[in-house]
Amino acid sequence: MSEKPFISFEQHGSITLGRVERATVLDAQNVAEFGRCLMTLAEQSPGAQVLLDFSQVGYLSSAVLNELLGAHRALLATNGNLRLSSLNEDILKVFEITNLDKVFVIYDSWKDGLKKYQRSLELEAQDRSWEEIGKDS
Amino acid sequence: MTIGNRIDSSVSAPFYSIEFPSSIEAMRAPLDGAIAALTARGWVDKDHPFYARLCLEEAVVNAITHGNQCDERRVVRVEMIEENDFCTILVYDQGPGFVLEQVPFPNGAAQRGRGICLIRHCMDEVSYDTERNCLVMKIRRKTHNKGVRDHE
Repeated sequence: MSEKPFISFEQHGSITLGRVERATVLDAQNVAEFGRCLMTLAEQSPGAQVLLDFSQVGYLSSAVLNELLGAHRALLATNGNLRLSSLNEDILKVFEITNLDKVFVIYDSWKDGLKKYQRSLELEAQDRSWEEIGKDS
Repeated sequence: MTIGNRIDSSVSAPFYSIEFPSSIEAMRAPLDGAIAALTARGWVDKDHPFYARLCLEEAVVNAITHGNQCDERRVVRVEMIEENDFCTILVYDQGPGFVLEQVPFPNGAAQRGRGICLIRHCMDEVSYDTERNCLVMKIRRKTHNKGVRDHE
């Protein structure tokens, strides 16, 4: 029987939802595999708009933050993005302590995140259209 | 280079002490043991060991990667000592040591410093003992007995 992927990805319109499924604890021992999963997606899907769902994750250490930042940078470089959802109270605190709540957009839940992320993409597309109209006139 | 001398005999004996090679694979069991020891003695809420585990992991990973450069011939030692209202956690490595005050506060996407930042935030006291080459973290006994800073 094949092992569940570390992160399983599914498409919801323009957004790639990634669910961290294989581990409830993300620490120094499995962070490399977590990071590889993310970077593989970033390399194979340039420009992807990714929402990561952490609802199964109860603990993470700072090693994971570096992997998230690496994937975030890689996606931004191709006009994609990485946003996060469903961080429990303690994990959210880790982001706040390290000021990464100012780097990442974080949603309360993946459902809420999908709606708001999609809406933000639509608004960005509208802004670009208006800019193009403004240039032409 | 030898690992730091154990704390002198005028201080209580450690209630937990373990040495292990400098590899990430080797650290899980010692960390589990350390958390179990802390919860057994009431320094950490057994239902909420998140911050204690986080601080221990950050300290041990730093000792392995920065202190001992992941050289498995070098060891990390973790000791825990109770004295009055404090539990002192010592994480020794065999590296050159560092100046705690020079570790920068992480600014957004900065690569380094998050581990120490988290430890400083969660532990009641943090220092680096340059003579013994160990990070010293202290938990003050809380009146409601929850241990490592809860974030109410």
